[in-house]
Amino acid sequence: MFLKSIDLTTALRPSYLPDEDLLFVQDNVGLYEGKYKLPNHQNGQVYLTSHRICYVDKAEPRKYSVALHLKHVERYEFYAGFLKSSAKITLIPKKRDKQHASLQHQQQSRSSPEPSPVTTATWVCTICSFSNPVPSNFDPTSANQHTSLPPCLACGIKPTLTHVLKAAISNATHHNPPLPPPLQSPSPIRPSQPDPEASFQCPRCTFLNHPSLMSCEICGAPLISHNLPSDLTQRINTESPGPFLNNSSFPNRNDTPESIKLSFRGGGEKIFYERLKNSLTQRKWLLQGAPPIPSSSSSTPSNPSNPSTTNDDIPSRNKMGGIAGLERQNLAIRQKNELVIGTAFEDLEALMASAKQIVELAESFARQQQQTKGSSSSSENNTLLAESVSDQLGLITTKDIVGNNSGGNSLYLSELSRTLAEFLTDDRKNILRKSGGIISLVDLWAVFNRARGGVELVSPADFEKAARLWEELNLPVRLRTFKKSGVMVVQAKERTDDQTVKSLLAWMKDLHEFPPEKEVAWDWRLFGRGVTARDAAERFGWSIGVAEEELEMAEERGVLCREEGIEGLKFWENFIDAGEGKGYKDAATLESERLIKTLKDVGML
Amino acid sequence: MSSSPPPQPFKFPREHSFPPFFTPQTNLTTHHAQQTKWSSLVLSYCRHHRIFKLSLSDSLSQSDLFHNQQINRRLSPQHQRSIIDFLRKEGRAEYQKENGGDLVYIYWRTPEEWAGIIESWIEETAQKGQVLTVYELLEGENTRGSEFYGMDREVLIKALNVLVKRGKAQIFGQEDSLGVKFF
Repeated sequence: MFLKSIDLTTALRPSYLPDEDLLFVQDNVGLYEGKYKLPNHQNGQVYLTSHRICYVDKAEPRKYSVALHLKHVERYEFYAGFLKSSAKITLIPKKRDKQHASLQHQQQSRSSPEPSPVTTATWVCTICSFSNPVPSNFDPTSANQHTSLPPCLACGIKPTLTHVLKAAISNATHHNPPLPPPLQSPSPIRPSQPDPEASFQCPRCTFLNHPSLMSCEICGAPLISHNLPSDLTQRINTESPGPFLNNSSFPNRNDTPESIKLSFRGGGEKIFYERLKNSLTQRKWLLQGAPPIPSSSSSTPSNPSNPSTTNDDIPSRNKMGGIAGLERQNLAIRQKNELVIGTAFEDLEALMASAKQIVELAESFARQQQQTKGSSSSSENNTLLAESVSDQLGLITTKDIVGNNSGGNSLYLSELSRTLAEFLTDDRKNILRKSGGIISLVDLWAVFNRARGGVELVSPADFEKAARLWEELNLPVRLRTFKKSGVMVVQAKERTDDQTVKSLLAWMKDLHEFPPEKEVAWDWRLFGRGVTARDAAERFGWSIGVAEEELEMAEERGVLCREEGIEGLKFWENFIDAGEGKGYKDAATLESERLIKTLKDVGML
Repeated sequence: MSSSPPPQPFKFPREHSFPPFFTPQTNLTTHHAQQTKWSSLVLSYCRHHRIFKLSLSDSLSQSDLFHNQQINRRLSPQHQRSIIDFLRKEGRAEYQKENGGDLVYIYWRTPEEWAGIIESWIEETAQKGQVLTVYELLEGENTRGSEFYGMDREVLIKALNVLVKRGKAQIFGQEDSLGVKFF
């Protein structure tokens, strides 16, 4: 199957494969299979990594989250969106995976088995974006620079050879026409009973053609009638107008689908597309299981075909100082790079072996290039730096990695929130347990930023906002604000106030059993004894401030009561209020209740 | 202030030997329970000792009400006043002077209740239409054994005034020799 369900981390994010890097995150994305929406996959976050595209559903993350391996992707297309239809990226699975499915699909969807491949091949004019037919005499195998190409039918500008070539090839590799991007029309469904007034909407340019026409009057696209299941006419109203995939009408949907579309309803598609393109070019997944690359500086005898191997040893032999030395060093590095690139492209084997180095080189080149470009692209630069640094720490949310949407940086915050939760619940770091299950937000901020190694530091405001999102995102940690001091602390979600109260009460009960250290005047068997915040701190391993707050919280709940004396503030089990105060309401509540009652009596309510 | 010392000492409730009972509680619910307990303690204490007036300044030293020597805890004057205020809201206490002051009437029976007791006593002893002096009511041979025998004069006058308002009595005479006629 093309789409696989995936494991999620505690923070409801996909757990990454070894060496997998997060490249981009975008929320408010829906999935399509072919032309139809996948039910239950209509609102989620999409994580683009170096290996996969992961979809994490917002409503039911554990149930409906899926991933798609980039290595199974044959081709991808970009569609910029039109009116109500949002921008989409189409991913087409590799041919051997999909042959079976596409054949079946053909049988299903086509009534006439003879397609006219020549006419369906189109190239889109880069100037005016008009879809022109590829000339019938155009042969991609023999075409060269001197092949005459017809100009665009709309604007008269001649296309480049590669442009037409690409269009022709993509058409030839797919038996189906490279789909009249069906998503372009906001309502691609025809009513099931054809009525005489009905017109056929062109799937490409949306012109309403006469139903008897075989091709569009305007753009010449073939008008193929799909056997749409009738129940699709009853459209489910969602935020996007596309139809849903109905399971029952596609019994064989376990097969690889013809294509998967990501619909970007909240924007961010451009950056996603760019990074997808990069990661498909880099093919980092090839590194998995690849043998370690023999470093070129250590010349190996197994590589005798390499004539420059011996050159490597020269600079190390003749050590030089000063500028000449630096120049030498630079020269050596350049030679080494040249060597790496040279060997990499010798054949595919070599490429696979040196992929890792190539990736590194590509990144460093990109960095240098940007540095020379100046400060205008500094944010991009930061991204690269941040990525390389933070990867080592496993902290991978940066502002640049997430997409922008209309809601400002809410996505950034929610990602940061998840990162924080992961950071806290990480068993290796064990941050929460080290501080007695509770840590102040300020301390956590310091620890977190230190772990980031001084790069892409999180501002206190963002940090607080992210911490506040834990509850909303249903993450295993929670933020607690102490009522009196306003201090914010972080603790595991399962450690609730109820539990704290319970343990405090159990302790209080113990004090009835064990006699106090020194003689007391009251009946300790009946009342136990008072405890200070220090006692509680010692007993539970909290800091004194936390102990104070916890005791006051218990007092607030009426479980404990206080005694202020010469020995300071002590807390006791509450023997004062044995239910007498239960019915107590303050004056304002009573007043409002009385008012409501009178109003009701009068009949005004 | 108390007329005849009671034969058995007052039995304090359990809370009176609970140290936090002497600290004003911050939790509203607990605080309310505390105030309720204190006020009922004050009322039953005063009823036991037949105390009609409480002097706030020396009640600290003179009574064991607000001071538990056994556990060495005492109620602060502010807290005492807050308890008196709580009692006042329930109509169970009244300052002698309008704007506070030191002396407080503790109404373990309110003037209205006293008025009812006097009225039923008058009826039981068939003294309607008769004139009695206030002194007779308080110290007279006839009233010995009745509940208001030896009660505070000022509280008695308050009770009689209630009866006047109800049209059941009439007060006449001078300051020291007040006479009451019951109808």
